[in-house]
Amino acid sequence: MCGAHAAVRGLIGEIVSRGDDERDIIVDMEAGLEHLSRGTGKHLSAFVATIEPYYRSMEVAGRVAALAAELGVGEVWAVANKVRDAGDRKAIEDFCDAHSLRLVGEIPYDPSLIQAEREGKTPLDYSPNGPAVKAIEKLGETLVGAF
Amino acid sequence: MRIAIAGKGGTGKTTISGTLARVLARQGHKVLAIDADTTPNLAVILGVPPSTAEEIMALPRNMMERQTQPDGSSKTVFVADSEKVISQHSAVGPDGVRLLVMGKVNHGGAG
Repeated sequence: MCGAHAAVRGLIGEIVSRGDDERDIIVDMEAGLEHLSRGTGKHLSAFVATIEPYYRSMEVAGRVAALAAELGVGEVWAVANKVRDAGDRKAIEDFCDAHSLRLVGEIPYDPSLIQAEREGKTPLDYSPNGPAVKAIEKLGETLVGAF
Repeated sequence: MRIAIAGKGGTGKTTISGTLARVLARQGHKVLAIDADTTPNLAVILGVPPSTAEEIMALPRNMMERQTQPDGSSKTVFVADSEKVISQHSAVGPDGVRLLVMGKVNHGGAG
């Protein structure tokens, strides 16, 4: 492991394990979870795997969820994203059932996010009342309620 | 709440991470968003201007130090002041979300 990598891992571990920290911490990770060590895992409230209704995405989500559990994260959850219809929903629900993953949120496919990107705006600023942002708000309520 | 979000590239982990951070911040939460991806783009979703994101200083390499343990073995430990590292190597974006970019590490020196 290169030194820079160890430094990032060390800093995340340090931030996440601080008991007195009143901040909410959200880490946008790589699927490889290289920056999470076993020690860090146990200080996370939850690990959330994003999952889209197609095989490769579900396969990766299953793998990162298993890895997170190995690293000692107590709660390993899934969030469905870009869900278009009942078939998409069922594919993800079936996958989560098969892998004992708790599905804590569902974000619908929202074309306004593509438009937002095209116009260089954030989803929240471009489409504050759009279905994706509304679903992420609901996900936030679920997470806040859980901890 | 301390959560990590991951998934296959393109599955919206950054969109969800960033939007979630801002939604919580709007509700009065103090939020630290950490971009731990090697191609960092959380700033875009948070609404941190590219120029501001560019100004975030690369993380120092000397945060970790190899120390010899009493039993003779050696262990790499974190020796920096994490609060100082956070304040010096992050930017504050819309709704007060603080963004720390991990991909930016000073790779100079021996690796």
